[in-house]
Amino acid sequence: MGASASIKKLRHLLLRWSGVVLFLLAWELAPRLEWVDPYFLPPFSTVVAEIDRLFTGAWLSVHILVSLWRALAGLLIAVAAGIPAGLLLGRVYPRVANAVSPLLKVLSQVNPFSLLPVFVLFFGIGEAAKLAVVAWVSVWPVLFYTMTGSRNVDTVQEKTAASMGIGPWALLVKVILPGALPTIFVGVRIAATVTFYILVAAEMLGASAGLGYLVHNAAMNYQIPRIYAGATFIVVFGFLLNRGLIALGDRLFCWQETEAVAPADGPAPSRPSWRPGRFSACAAAAATVVLLVLGGIEVGKVNREAASLTPGDHSRHFGTPVDSGSGS
Amino acid sequence: MNDRTTLMHQALAVILFLSLWEVLPRTGLVNPLFIPPLSGVLQAICDLYASGELLLHARLSLGRALIGFGAAVAIGLPLGLVLGGWFPRIQTATEPLLELFAQANPVILAHIIIFFLGIGEVAKTFIIGWLCLWPIVFSSISGIRSVDVPVLKAARSLGLGRRQLFLKVVLPSAAPAICTGLRLASGYAFIMLVASEMMGGSNGIGWLIVQSQENYHVTRIFAGATVLTALAVAADLSLKLAEKRFVVWDVALSEDYLKLAPVRGEEP
Repeated sequence: MGASASIKKLRHLLLRWSGVVLFLLAWELAPRLEWVDPYFLPPFSTVVAEIDRLFTGAWLSVHILVSLWRALAGLLIAVAAGIPAGLLLGRVYPRVANAVSPLLKVLSQVNPFSLLPVFVLFFGIGEAAKLAVVAWVSVWPVLFYTMTGSRNVDTVQEKTAASMGIGPWALLVKVILPGALPTIFVGVRIAATVTFYILVAAEMLGASAGLGYLVHNAAMNYQIPRIYAGATFIVVFGFLLNRGLIALGDRLFCWQETEAVAPADGPAPSRPSWRPGRFSACAAAAATVVLLVLGGIEVGKVNREAASLTPGDHSRHFGTPVDSGSGS
Repeated sequence: MNDRTTLMHQALAVILFLSLWEVLPRTGLVNPLFIPPLSGVLQAICDLYASGELLLHARLSLGRALIGFGAAVAIGLPLGLVLGGWFPRIQTATEPLLELFAQANPVILAHIIIFFLGIGEVAKTFIIGWLCLWPIVFSSISGIRSVDVPVLKAARSLGLGRRQLFLKVVLPSAAPAICTGLRLASGYAFIMLVASEMMGGSNGIGWLIVQSQENYHVTRIFAGATVLTALAVAADLSLKLAEKRFVVWDVALSEDYLKLAPVRGEEP
């Protein structure tokens, strides 16, 4: 039973990832067999070697840390603003929410790329502008999902709590917030994925470090394998982030009844073996704080370095420019 | 509270916002150099319209967005329907690959696309289409999968053929999810418009914004952004109207298109 189940699992995994394997194989073979110009599309192994070189050169970790710090700080601002505002609008002042919802919808449609220049005007090209853009983009999903989530809390639970004589504040904290949390989490996850798009764009416009800057800098210097390396890394990173957040949400909110239609004759959905408890919450909070502090130090260092450059020194290469030629 | 008062309140909120936009820069509470008052922005829009620039750029940008979106629909909808409906095994095999493609950042891709397509119309449309494609593919896959099995069985036992089954049962029940995907994609099309027109070229509303930024013409940035927002909102509204027309029932669907329901019987 156990063996056949694991074989079935393995087969499923093999089938699942066969598409990716085939794609990577094509990426490797097409330039090697000269179906496409290997100068413009270096084979996959060259790109992997470039990623490896970036890691050993210790530069990639700096870029990752800086980008992560920006994303995290911007997201935290959005969460700190969006969840209270969403709860207030969704629960406390529903009439206000009704009145402003078209306005908010229109504001959320304002193109973040076209806002970039405005933010740069306001905050300069320093960290504040990037954080503002990230926060602006990610606040909308958080706000809208919090509003929807807090409105759709089970009325039976609410009435039960009210009949037990719960105060309005305790109702908000003990019933509505936990009930809305799965929906809010989806909002935060969507915000995190959208954030990455815009952060990379913001880093291209003016920055001295970060994943977006890495790719932009490589493109400006015609280090083609490095462009692919940066792009591949960003793709994998975004994929892992998304998958990780989905898995975390499934485990956190496994008490929730799924909305998807479950097969009537199939087995009951299994509960995940590991569930985050108080300890892992503390660990996650500690990790966030450590990341914020370390990233903050690194960002400060990078910005100071960029500021102390002499004007002629602007095209700074990461890694020596000489090593870029090896890819072609 | 009836609809009439809600509508009045909503109008009031919009008017309040617009008047704040006018008053705050005029009184100097915010720097009018950074946020020009509403009347200034409207004036700039009128000037652009009078010189014919606005229509020219808007037409070009709309054309790009439409072609990119249309191509994404033409490719993504059949792909999603076929993968989700007929070939669950191929779908399982390609799902991680498609998800990785969906993660490919279009801003970064621009650097790579330039190698193959240059910076002309094709490259711009490609970037827009690329970003629009994934919500459509994923939402049509999950729409197909959310078809109620008992309803499907009932329809089959009533003797519906494959074609009829698809047209009368599968497509209508997948329609809400597909509509969500289409609306998401249309939003993306307008977002990527600016990014794709940043690549180069010399026309389009996105280019107008970028160029105004380089000339420190702040009022024009706001004018361009306002027009672009209006276009995006109009596109979203027309899709919403179409959805109301074709999708008669209301299903609350999240925009969470990347999280697919597991394939029935496939997941270990």
